[in-house]
Amino acid sequence: MRQRKEEGGLNMTPMIDVVFQLIIFFIVTVAQQQKEVEMELRLAMAPDGKAVERKDPRTITVDVDTQGRVYIARQRLSLQMLQNILRGAVARHGQTLPVVIRADAGTRHEYVRRVMDVCSQAGLWKIKFAAIKERAK
Amino acid sequence: MARKRKSKEVPEAELPMTPMIDVVFQLLIYFIFTIKPLDVLAHLDVFRPGPEQRTERLEVPPNLVRIGIFYDGFTVNDKPVAESQLESLIRRLAELDRKQTVLIMCSAASPHEFLVRVLNLCAKYQLTNLSVISVN
Repeated sequence: MRQRKEEGGLNMTPMIDVVFQLIIFFIVTVAQQQKEVEMELRLAMAPDGKAVERKDPRTITVDVDTQGRVYIARQRLSLQMLQNILRGAVARHGQTLPVVIRADAGTRHEYVRRVMDVCSQAGLWKIKFAAIKERAK
Repeated sequence: MARKRKSKEVPEAELPMTPMIDVVFQLLIYFIFTIKPLDVLAHLDVFRPGPEQRTERLEVPPNLVRIGIFYDGFTVNDKPVAESQLESLIRRLAELDRKQTVLIMCSAASPHEFLVRVLNLCAKYQLTNLSVISVN
């Protein structure tokens, strides 16, 4: 009888487990987000541009580096592959699918143009360009 | 009576908190030193006319402003303008009509930064009807 009463304390182990699970989750997701952004691109500044508040989950972000190489989620793609991806996405989500082109400030327009042409061919006329509104302090 | 109560008291369950607090502080210090704040991004919306729309638009230019972007500078309605003049010109255009179409023509060799600069000025003066075409 006495022993049973002693066991009535608050069991902290599950709470600590949950806290650690949360910490691990945040470590992994923050690191992933950082990686996604840190694709050696030097974006141009647009301090008066519209800040990205809520990103549409359907958004496709296409990166273009100074050499004209094209990436989605750090995965290098040929223009043909990009076209197939965009066509597939348009078939699923329609022509209102948001496309963001994130090109390096020094990228020649002809490389950006290729991506824009692929977007147009896939039926996407509205395009967004990513820029930096405010640099992190 | 007092003795009886004493014997029934439940001993408190003790959990050593010190190691947990140690670990939590280690994690906190780790985050303070490693987390880099992210830049605030902006999205600049443009309309990219298709080939058939492009010719249509060029043939019938109702209240159309053409901004040319080249590797060494800008033009407004085919007249070269210095970078310092560009903002005042765009501001004046916006004062006349914010709904007018601005056709931004980029040359192949122009850096993307120039296009962003023009789009930023258009966003600043609330010109929203922007089309980007590429010229050789």
